[in-house]
Amino acid sequence: MIDFQSGYILRPVNPVFIYFSLFCALLLNLLPIGNYGWVPDWLVLCIVFWNIHQHRYVSVITAFILGLMMDVHNSDLLGLHAFSYSLVAYVAISWHRRIVALTVLSQAMHLLPIFLLVSLFPVLAHWLLSGDLYWWALTGAIQALIEAMLWPIATRVLLAPQRRPIDVDHNRPL
Amino acid sequence: MLIDFRFKALDPIRNNVNWILRPLEYVMMMPRNAFESTSEYFTTRSTLDQENQVMKVRQAELSLLANQSEFLMVENQNLRELMALQKQVPFKTLPVEILFNPPNPISQRIVINRGSNDGLKLGNPIANDSGILGQVVRLYDRSAEVSLLEDRDFAVPVQVARNGLRAAVFGAGRGNPLELRYLPVASDLEVGDILLTSGIDGIYPPGFAVAVISKIERNADKNSSNVFCVPVAAVNRYRQALALLYDPQFDAKAPVNNKSATGTPSTNTPGRRQTRARGMQ
Repeated sequence: MIDFQSGYILRPVNPVFIYFSLFCALLLNLLPIGNYGWVPDWLVLCIVFWNIHQHRYVSVITAFILGLMMDVHNSDLLGLHAFSYSLVAYVAISWHRRIVALTVLSQAMHLLPIFLLVSLFPVLAHWLLSGDLYWWALTGAIQALIEAMLWPIATRVLLAPQRRPIDVDHNRPL
Repeated sequence: MLIDFRFKALDPIRNNVNWILRPLEYVMMMPRNAFESTSEYFTTRSTLDQENQVMKVRQAELSLLANQSEFLMVENQNLRELMALQKQVPFKTLPVEILFNPPNPISQRIVINRGSNDGLKLGNPIANDSGILGQVVRLYDRSAEVSLLEDRDFAVPVQVARNGLRAAVFGAGRGNPLELRYLPVASDLEVGDILLTSGIDGIYPPGFAVAVISKIERNADKNSSNVFCVPVAAVNRYRQALALLYDPQFDAKAPVNNKSATGTPSTNTPGRRQTRARGMQ
């Protein structure tokens, strides 16, 4: 796969690394930080990243299962995160060709609506079901903004294993 | 989602997922717990000494009170028996630890480390040393979710400690003061009144502090008053709490055989509806 940022061809991805990173993101989401609206959802960042870069390994189904776990952890309605994660995974997979070719910053701009969808979906679903809108909970938009700002860092970290040079000459580094 | 919202039918799935997820949650709680325990470890000797002193005084006071209260309770039960009122139901307590606060923008909940295996039931109140914290709303095998007082539309039936006025406290969402709803303008309330659980719902044992009135806005046009109060127990602070295993049986009592000496017929004449005596707890 071509890295459009540097122009080089990337090394093949290691599936173990993909699942390991998803697991780490899940663990980060389980950190007992408290009920704050702005804490970034690491898992959705990771899922969207792999959906865009390696959609053969991380599909809508993976997103659904991970979303189910987040529902139980957050004591939400069962299926709330599962649905929003799989919706977002679908959108990300269908956009992946367009988004990969952009620069990292404009990628982040393009992904902001996706993150907004995940952050605001629980509030909207609750609005539809029970009829009252929690204005306070709309501060989840801040979470989406933070996630979009984390996108360049995520790209750097998660693509690092694939950006390693293929044959390293120990006598002449670089 | 709709199925879960309307029928609560997916709880077995939830329990199974929880069974996988809980160990991971425990693992991720380790850094915080380690941090807290080290900071506790490095508290200085003088602080501990001071704390010890305060605790001793407090314990002496409390044990004195406890002795007295036992005496009063026995006396109260005897008097109730004399008056043919229903006895106060004793309740057991179960110490619980608050595990974490799930990040959820819509509700205010905590997860505790006891579940149905420890005898906890749906609807059991959770309290700490100063007052009511909340109520168990979802049970797993080894953990449970507790809705806090601050949770939106969370209602607790209360009684004003000063004059026995009954009302209901409602949660108004995170960070907002609790509300006393459905009270007329002329109701006898003052800022600083303490609200105790009234115990008429059969869920909360009577006499636990819930909130203190902090602000009253009387609205004479609509004959309504907006009363705001603050919870007594520090809802988001401590890690330890008590679950109150309270299960009163509100059965109708056997009809009292009160044929008086003057020979008036008993109240249970045929065709007359049999009702319970007024004023029963």
